[in-house]
Amino acid sequence: MSTPFPCAGSRALYAPTRRDFIYGLGASIGSIALSSLLGPHVRAAGTAVNPLAPKPGHLKAKAKNCIFLMMEGGPSHIDTFDPKPQLARLHLQEFNREGKMKSAMESGKRYYVQSPFTFRKAGKSGADIATNWEHLAGVVDDLCFYRGCQVDSVNHPTAMYQMNTGNRFGGDPAIGSWVNYGLGTLNQDLPGFIVLPEVSYPQGGAANWSNGFLPAIYQGTPLRPKGSPILDLTPPEGITRDHQRANLDLLGTLNALHQNGHQQHEELAARTSAYELAFRMQLQVPGILDIQGEDARTKEAYGIGSDATDAFGRKCLLARRLVEKGVRFVQLYAGTWDSHDFIERAHGNLVRSVDKPIAGLIADLKQRGLLDETLVVWCGEFGRSPDNGVRGGTAYGRDHNSKAMTLWMAGGGVKAGHTIGATDELGAEAVDCVHHVRDVHVTLMHLLGLDDNRLTYFHAGRFKQLSQFGGSVIKELIA
Amino acid sequence: MRRCGGLPFFTLFTLTWSLAAGAPVHGKEEAEQLFVRRVMPMMQDKCLACHGKDENKIKGGLDLRTWDSLLLGGDSAEPSVVAGKPEQSPFYLAITRRHDEWEPMPPKENDALTPEQIAYVKDWIAAGAPWPDAARSREILAQKDKWSADGGVEVATSGGLSEDWTHRRYKPEDLWAYQPVKKPTVPAVGAKNPIDAFIHARLAEAGLTPAPRADRRTLLRRVTFGLTGLPPTPEETTAFLEDPAPDAEAFSKVVERLLASPHYGERMGQHWLDVVRYADSSGFANDYGRANTWRYRDYVVRAFNHDKPYDQFVKEQIAGDELTPTNPEGIIASGMLRMGPWELTGMEVPRVARQKFLDDVKDSVGQVFIAQPLQCARCHDHKFDPIPTGDYYSFVSIFATTQMAERPAPFLSEENLSFFEERKYLEQRADFNRRTLANIDAKAIEGARAWYAENKKDPAVFEAALTELLGKNRGAAKRDADYQDVRTALMKRGIPEDQLPPRYVGLSPTDLGHQRIAKKGLERERWDRDRYEAFAFATYSGRTPDVKTVAAPQRMRQDRMTNGELEEGHILTGGDPFANGAPVKPGVLSAVTSLGGMDPSLGEVPSAIEGRRTALATWIASASNPLTARTYVNRLWLWHFNQAIAGNPNNFGVMGKKPTDPALLDFLAAALMENGWSTKAMHRLILTSDAYARASTHPHPEQVKEQDPDGTRYAVFRPRRLTAEELRDASLALSGELNPAIGGIPSRPEMNREAALQPRQVMGTFAEAWQPSATPAERHRRSLYALRIRGQPDPYFEVFNAPNPDLSCEMRDASTVTPQVFSLFNSQATLDRAVAWAARIAKESRTPPESINRAFMLAFNRSPTPEEQQACLDHWQVMTKLHHKSAIPKAERPREVVREGVEENTGEKFVFTEPLEVYADFVPDLHISDVPPATRGLAELCLVLLNSNEFVYVY
Repeated sequence: MSTPFPCAGSRALYAPTRRDFIYGLGASIGSIALSSLLGPHVRAAGTAVNPLAPKPGHLKAKAKNCIFLMMEGGPSHIDTFDPKPQLARLHLQEFNREGKMKSAMESGKRYYVQSPFTFRKAGKSGADIATNWEHLAGVVDDLCFYRGCQVDSVNHPTAMYQMNTGNRFGGDPAIGSWVNYGLGTLNQDLPGFIVLPEVSYPQGGAANWSNGFLPAIYQGTPLRPKGSPILDLTPPEGITRDHQRANLDLLGTLNALHQNGHQQHEELAARTSAYELAFRMQLQVPGILDIQGEDARTKEAYGIGSDATDAFGRKCLLARRLVEKGVRFVQLYAGTWDSHDFIERAHGNLVRSVDKPIAGLIADLKQRGLLDETLVVWCGEFGRSPDNGVRGGTAYGRDHNSKAMTLWMAGGGVKAGHTIGATDELGAEAVDCVHHVRDVHVTLMHLLGLDDNRLTYFHAGRFKQLSQFGGSVIKELIA
Repeated sequence: MRRCGGLPFFTLFTLTWSLAAGAPVHGKEEAEQLFVRRVMPMMQDKCLACHGKDENKIKGGLDLRTWDSLLLGGDSAEPSVVAGKPEQSPFYLAITRRHDEWEPMPPKENDALTPEQIAYVKDWIAAGAPWPDAARSREILAQKDKWSADGGVEVATSGGLSEDWTHRRYKPEDLWAYQPVKKPTVPAVGAKNPIDAFIHARLAEAGLTPAPRADRRTLLRRVTFGLTGLPPTPEETTAFLEDPAPDAEAFSKVVERLLASPHYGERMGQHWLDVVRYADSSGFANDYGRANTWRYRDYVVRAFNHDKPYDQFVKEQIAGDELTPTNPEGIIASGMLRMGPWELTGMEVPRVARQKFLDDVKDSVGQVFIAQPLQCARCHDHKFDPIPTGDYYSFVSIFATTQMAERPAPFLSEENLSFFEERKYLEQRADFNRRTLANIDAKAIEGARAWYAENKKDPAVFEAALTELLGKNRGAAKRDADYQDVRTALMKRGIPEDQLPPRYVGLSPTDLGHQRIAKKGLERERWDRDRYEAFAFATYSGRTPDVKTVAAPQRMRQDRMTNGELEEGHILTGGDPFANGAPVKPGVLSAVTSLGGMDPSLGEVPSAIEGRRTALATWIASASNPLTARTYVNRLWLWHFNQAIAGNPNNFGVMGKKPTDPALLDFLAAALMENGWSTKAMHRLILTSDAYARASTHPHPEQVKEQDPDGTRYAVFRPRRLTAEELRDASLALSGELNPAIGGIPSRPEMNREAALQPRQVMGTFAEAWQPSATPAERHRRSLYALRIRGQPDPYFEVFNAPNPDLSCEMRDASTVTPQVFSLFNSQATLDRAVAWAARIAKESRTPPESINRAFMLAFNRSPTPEEQQACLDHWQVMTKLHHKSAIPKAERPREVVREGVEENTGEKFVFTEPLEVYADFVPDLHISDVPPATRGLAELCLVLLNSNEFVYVY
């Protein structure tokens, strides 16, 4: 009873308005791939096409896929990739700041903080990098650092929404949703946009990978780091596979009889097929996520097996596997980098947990020839301030800074081995090659072969786009 | 031109242009006309934003404001226009978007010029590209009246930022929604219900015959879900099937019965809450509880159940607090204005957060009541609609004195005040958090003393401050003062920091993590405990208080008329809250008044602190407002037919979909007002139409597909999938577990356990886990009452397209995606429903065939066919046999949860154990391990039925 009834005979009457289609999640679902599932049956309706079918972009793409390393909380540029020796001179000097345009956090008595980290020049390119990035230093020539980005918000969720969706107030589709909307996905058996969150969800929650106003099929699918990777992937205790098979058979029979009386209702066939697909996915999904088959050297290179790096190393390795399988957009979370106090310890621990895994990922992608077609992005939602507020004393941390940050890109089409843009001598504000984050978005889309101005969706009275109102490509970042 | 004989020159000229762009242009004068009338306005609209308006931001170095700068060209240094030679003019080549060398302009595909506009430019260049000076241009424009028939109609507004915008023209058909509502003549086709008269006319036009009337069984299920969101009971089915009255009459009785059901208000309430974005939390960083929004939710349910006239319903939600300041109902209703996500933390600029509220409330009122998405006019005059940016800020100014507060509002006798005893769990958690803080603080103090000893310093000052401060309440959460407070106090007294113990002395990363969780927990509890008090989530009118953060519920300020800022209205240039442009007064949308022929005095809004919203409410709820009734009846139609007459119910502007049957829409709008704005009267009218009662299958489907591919002629009834809430509520109804009580504090169903215990960050730390309500009666409420936390949506509702409460949902999606199978086929929740349902059936029937019959009657309101009967009996038997062998463990429920997080101060992972207090009293649902094998077998059959297409779709 794998196909309880033939689709060909049904005569669809209702135009499929506002409904989406089925996607699979299996590694190699042979018998019903999405195309055949939707095949002649949906096309008979005359209007629908598979919304996830691969589509050519608007431009020649430099990269096919994107791995987006989201360092939530706001990593400090001053303590990682943008050294500010001038701060040593001002260290602990106090000043006051007030103003209508300032938040409570930015106001009041403040003091400058020098970086507790030392820096060095790494690689042939001589990129500035804090010495505690021991492993990343080894792949630094593959990275393009960008110091000119600015955002609008100094509040975490709004800044996260802006970095992830372009709209700081939320409600818009995430970058990964736009990319899948524009390009479709290469593997019809997997979602095209997968998120690997921290054990705890970031501020703003799942809205950070929401499809917004795009159809639900473009939503990011979080794979959970613990427990069932997908909710309810397996049935409750006591319901075994035998039970399920028998239940599915009866369901097929009842649905077939029902469909006899509703020949003109095309959604019925698709819905019935979804059950068979889901039944197979239950077996296959755990396999995709199982990294045991990877050789020991690879696992070691990602830091898997060591306390500090195991969690993020697994995510990085999984990201590579997913990209290999044709997933368009994988977003990884690490954090929280919100080090208002004691930045040496907090950032030190965080760098330790991501340094080796990220370096391992870049090297592994490169060695497999995947780096050319994969765009890797590392960023937070904003940078940090050269000074800190006096909140119960000096604690050597930093507040939020929307005017300066460092992000880097690697792989697909980026100008590797360069540092673009600059901040002022204290790292307070970007001063060279300054671009609003919308231009970073436009550039990212450009590298993936999409023209932000042409990738639009009509919603609430106007055609919306990732950059909100249009932006420009940051040519300096492109090879 | 003279050869045109008696025809006035301009008339003919006009015809040439509008009907045949690209026709040769003769003479300089004509080319000048073409430039002034067509090319320049187009350039202003499409080009100058980047090429001239802002001298500091000219893109590509090209300035298109003057002929000279045009000739100068941009970065390419080539002249943009070669007079007489369009094919050599970069300006022309770029706008064709088809040239290799020149980038398509304007860059955005959606801004592309129309073929007509491109032809104008070509003609103008071909004719020598004359660029008349300002005086000549004015002269040409002065002949305006001669153009009145051309290029659409002008709309009188309060005026845009530019003359061109003010005088721009609109296609009459784009302004349909702003025309006064005039009751159209009902087509004389002999239909009893006027709706059918309109629909028959459109069917006849397409040569279509409608599908026959649906059978009573189908119709009953359709209308019962449609009006109550619940399935018909077997008894209701039998009564209707056996009613000897003629079909129409028997059906009318059903409609009356359902309109009188209290569940009617719940179903309509759900629709309304989708549009206004109901949620029980504030969203963003802290996602604090909004403990009193449930009273607004119940106000909406009551309003529908009492058939509150829609105009009054509108007025109360916009200005209830002003109109009836002593009536709790009016205060509660004003909560609608605050439904959007909002917060003010120390990390935000207060002015920016305030503007966010103002933009949000104006947006919401615009979309919800008059289908006007105004946000496009925030930064500039509206590109498509006759809304100048001045009107936008006038509209915003109406709310400039609207303030947010949780206001006292005595409970009404109709409100459901049960289950308040759950408050004890909040208190238990607060105690737990206080104990945690006390323990950690003891460590800190111990650490501090050790520090003094180690550093051989005198702790006297410290000890004195400690004695003085400890035990005193601190902060919004009223927690006890602690070591930090002591240290801060000492620093304020001028003791240098190096003379004091370190800030986090004595504490490990885990202590720090626990401390943050506990402090935040107390802060959050402060919001949640208002749930059981007679407060309303509401607004008041007053000056804007000077607050830097909002970390606890705000009360109405007693000095609201005198203290704080009286916000003045300004156009905010580019939407920037710090860029004050021209001042504006509070006011309504000028185009609606002018096009709708409304009495201008209706739209006068006072500048006093109070009364602004009252004026707005009166203007919107006026019978002469062309948008209000149309917007509402369009929604009502959507709620019954699963498609709206005008396809974007939140947008009746130029870009929204046009009504497929404008006459029908107007008829309904007029009927609503004639019937005293009665919603129930509209339901009666719509539901007793033949169109509503049609079958969903047609004898000649090919004909329908050809003649009515979009289904807008209503030849058949369009089936729909049940909404997320209906799926859950119907399962509970079948299983007999549903608690049908109306209203009350939010219920917490058993969310998927992993999602429920998923740690999530709120500002600086972690929020508490989701705990289900303790008793089945609390948990098994209608889904409408399920607690909606913005940062923790229930995955079951999400996967079945429950809308994101941050956006107004004008129409639900109904997607088919695989994760739905996991939720419905694999979840503990569905299995629990199936088990309870099976147990119910076992009780209510004597033989297996009777059981199957009962199951089918409950789920599908019909008996099974012999084939189905047999298949189900066989399955039951097989599954029972399997269950004789299966050993299913009892369901266990956690009393605490161990979770992991990263501590902000140290970047180190730490583990915390959160108590789950509710589980101490948890009364579980019937579990599969509780029932004998035969019931388990039947439960598996029930699980299949709950997953079947027949259950999930309504025809």
